Amino acid sequence: MTLYRPDVLREIDEAFADQPVVLTIGGVIREMLALVGRKPNHLYSLDAMGQTVAIGLGLALGLEEEQRHAKVVVVEGDGSLLMGFSVLATVGALKPSKLVVAVVDNGVYLATGGQPTAASTTDFVQVALDCGWAAARDVPSEMAALRDALDWARAAAGPILLRIRVGTEQPKTDFFLEDPVLLAREFEAWLRKNVARRLV
Amino acid sequence: MHATGASASLEQRSQAVVAGLEAVDPHFVLYLPSSTLKLVLAHFLPGGPGHRSGRRVFPIPREEEGISILSGLALAGRRAVMIFQDNGVGNLLTALLTFPQPYHVPLFGIVTRRGGLGEYNSMIHTVSERTEALLDAAGVRWFQLDARTPIGDWASTIERAHTYACTTHRPVFVLVNLMSG
Repeated sequence: MTLYRPDVLREIDEAFADQPVVLTIGGVIREMLALVGRKPNHLYSLDAMGQTVAIGLGLALGLEEEQRHAKVVVVEGDGSLLMGFSVLATVGALKPSKLVVAVVDNGVYLATGGQPTAASTTDFVQVALDCGWAAARDVPSEMAALRDALDWARAAAGPILLRIRVGTEQPKTDFFLEDPVLLAREFEAWLRKNVARRLV
Repeated sequence: MHATGASASLEQRSQAVVAGLEAVDPHFVLYLPSSTLKLVLAHFLPGGPGHRSGRRVFPIPREEEGISILSGLALAGRRAVMIFQDNGVGNLLTALLTFPQPYHVPLFGIVTRRGGLGEYNSMIHTVSERTEALLDAAGVRWFQLDARTPIGDWASTIERAHTYACTTHRPVFVLVNLMSG
């Protein structure tokens, strides 16, 4: 059995409905929008391939002392993770306790035509553990196992990496063409509701 | 009368950069390796006077990774700076122009200059002398501190450049020449 990526995204959204969630580029954003609509706690990284986990790392470090945000979630693809792979070492060194990275792994660059990535020969879980992450799991391709893993990730201390293998089937979705300034401001405004700090 | 940057030693220039950064008072200091930045980094690393409770100082392996971490920190409302060398500017351009620049996220970087007068490396000028052109082509705002700038103005320029990044909602870099140029 292979998990369907939209089903996985819906479960992640439900598991972390009131926490900051950083979404990687391409189909992940478009499918999440089609499933649950635009949400203020979702940060849509429209084209920063390879940078999603690092953005989430900065958020997790910055929100470490905020009570309201128990977790900072990153939904990353295998191709994008491999493009910024050094961040696994940085996360392991800094150990941000709120960071949860869900690697939705279909083994290909789906948005650009399905070219293979190096994911099939890369053990993301072992690399994360060797880099010093608090925990990492390969999630069996069953919905019950996915829900168990997300429940565990909600409660356990991070940084946590979940590798979730999905198929390459994808629904037809529209392009998302919003002004990125609005995306940043909406997300920031949502964070600011309970964070009084200003940069200056 | 203030000394010019030209008559200031590496120690004086480094102290001026440190004074500017301490005026910014960053919660997070991200750094990449640089021999010319050694004195500045020593201030923030364990054993240095700038290594204190409430401030996190850590290395990053690539400039583009630093840009993204800075972006997350800025969205979380934290003051942060990345300190790196100008031959890494090329590494960060795509990350800069696909997230903080189009999303209007304020970032701040101290970029040490290589190449030019005082350079001892036979190769590094090939990339470093093009730093301004690269940043201009990318539409990134920068300020320069070198031999032409009175050393007494360096710290306040660094502090004001950080404020300018915040008030104009974009990345701003200060290029600092710690060598004799």
